[in-house]
Amino acid sequence: MISDIERQYAIEQFYYREASLLDGRQYQQWLSLVSESIRYVMPARVNALVNNRQRGEEAMIAIDNELEGSDGLGCPIREESYAHLFVRVDRAYKMNSWADNPPARTRRIIGNVEVLDHSDESVRVRSNFHLFFARPGSDNFIYSGQRNDQLLMIDGNFKIADREVIMDYANIDVPTLGLIF
Amino acid sequence: MKISDLVSDDAAYVSRKAWTDQRVYELEKKGIFAKAWLFLGHESQIKNPGDFVQAYMCETPIILARGEDRKIYASINSCSHRGLPVCRADHGNTKRFLCPYHNWSYRVDGSLVAIPQEKLLTNKPDKSVLGLKAVPRVESWRGMIFGCFDESVQSLDSYLGDMRFYLDAFFERFDNGIEFIGAPHRWTINANWKLPMENQLGDVNHGPFLHSAVIPAEANEEIFSVGWSAVPEPGHGATFRLMPEGTDNAHVAWGMEGMGAILGGAEIQEYLFEIQAKAAERVGNIRSRMKGLTYGVYPNLSFLWSNTSFKVSHPRGPNKVEYWSWAVVPADAPDAIKKILRTNYSSFFGPGGILEQEDSEAWMQQYLGSNIDFADDKPYFYGLGLGEEKPHPDLPGMLSVTANEYYARAFFSRWRSALEAVNDSRELIASSKQVSADDI
Repeated sequence: MISDIERQYAIEQFYYREASLLDGRQYQQWLSLVSESIRYVMPARVNALVNNRQRGEEAMIAIDNELEGSDGLGCPIREESYAHLFVRVDRAYKMNSWADNPPARTRRIIGNVEVLDHSDESVRVRSNFHLFFARPGSDNFIYSGQRNDQLLMIDGNFKIADREVIMDYANIDVPTLGLIF
Repeated sequence: MKISDLVSDDAAYVSRKAWTDQRVYELEKKGIFAKAWLFLGHESQIKNPGDFVQAYMCETPIILARGEDRKIYASINSCSHRGLPVCRADHGNTKRFLCPYHNWSYRVDGSLVAIPQEKLLTNKPDKSVLGLKAVPRVESWRGMIFGCFDESVQSLDSYLGDMRFYLDAFFERFDNGIEFIGAPHRWTINANWKLPMENQLGDVNHGPFLHSAVIPAEANEEIFSVGWSAVPEPGHGATFRLMPEGTDNAHVAWGMEGMGAILGGAEIQEYLFEIQAKAAERVGNIRSRMKGLTYGVYPNLSFLWSNTSFKVSHPRGPNKVEYWSWAVVPADAPDAIKKILRTNYSSFFGPGGILEQEDSEAWMQQYLGSNIDFADDKPYFYGLGLGEEKPHPDLPGMLSVTANEYYARAFFSRWRSALEAVNDSRELIASSKQVSADDI
């Protein structure tokens, strides 16, 4: 059994390594951190009608009210599997992936890493990110969001088995939400 | 500069100014967005009394709602008192919209219910004339709701004309029609509104090149060999593959090419085969062999059949567009099937789509290219396939191979006429004032 502090340290190190691979454009190596059964979801975010009967309660302005995720019959922004992520990674190394030619410069800061739940095989972790994104010929952008992950412990290494990315947009004024967050 | 200088008589040349000039944009509002049928939403989004969604007509915010009388209403989302938007949610169901400033309240049909201040006053205002401004014409076709600011506009049916033949090739495949699911994805692109429109109106010609990192070569070969570009009316367009007689279902069925069908397993494949098996009976032999690509409805609505989404290119000045898109699914499909089908849209298109990111980049770069100095004597060439389009014995409109840019020439001819029809618009005085790159 490892202590809570050791677990926290291992997870944070894993996220730093992951961020470093993504900022270093080493997406093929990143893919090796991902379980082949991964579910990668980015809910859509809407301006919801406030429910009168919930006034005075936290539920009235709960973030969940704004999300169209994969469970409902709305339309999430992304609902992807390993195959989708593989195509994205594959595209990055082609001559004609024009939106990334030349590629953007990115810098991810991962923080507020909270372990929500854990067993010997699996942990559920919430973390926040800020991602600076400088696109040649265009502009600089900041992406801000939260990740709700399930990480599996496989042969002593973490693998990302489930990731839900909650973006903090009101209006989407970034070039793409198709990055790996 | 004259309006006629923006587009040559044969429409083989289109000026850079058509994309960037603020005065051209003001004329587009008067000549096009004040006159044409504009897409507002789909009836499946507002099934019950009190249901509403937001929409836009050009830059004007609209509330589209199902009234207590079950009729459809479109009103401008701006209070009659001080102009604030009275509807602040993207969609929902409500009895009243409340203006935050002084709490004037409205029914979803736009009629004014209450002015809280009036009880303190002797002369009561006439509330019957103080409702939200109604969009004067609202009509539906196959559940698609359009509005028009011009009361004297032709009927929606005749406006769509033979475009209905091509739209029905998709819509009529399903026993209970289609529905839009979820709120629209909406995002801004620093581009002129006409380029996203042109892209879907008939420009499958860019696919094999801009998207070659992702679209497989076989798919492009199929478009080259059996692809058609149809222009049923100038300004509308449809592109599709017309598969030969006897093509098996796996190669003609709508949806089979998407990631959803490839990864979704037996359940989704069976569903798509069932739809295709009934297609000839429902839409006739020739239309059952159509495997659609992109559609456009003048001036700014697109339907991407291959990835089943509707898109609207809402202008926000000459240099910015707010692009909206919705996933479209058969209304009576089981929920599990709808969830798989929606990924055929979101994986490739929308703000996170793997193909979309290349399109947005191209549209943004086209704006920058249009807004440079010292190149106004070099209009864009729109002459590919000039004069090679012709009628077809079984398909309405003018038909051509997909590399022919007739779809765009027809659009820009109609666009030029619409601008010329605006009073006192024929002289567009040349000036050095352009929207600068710093403004975008």
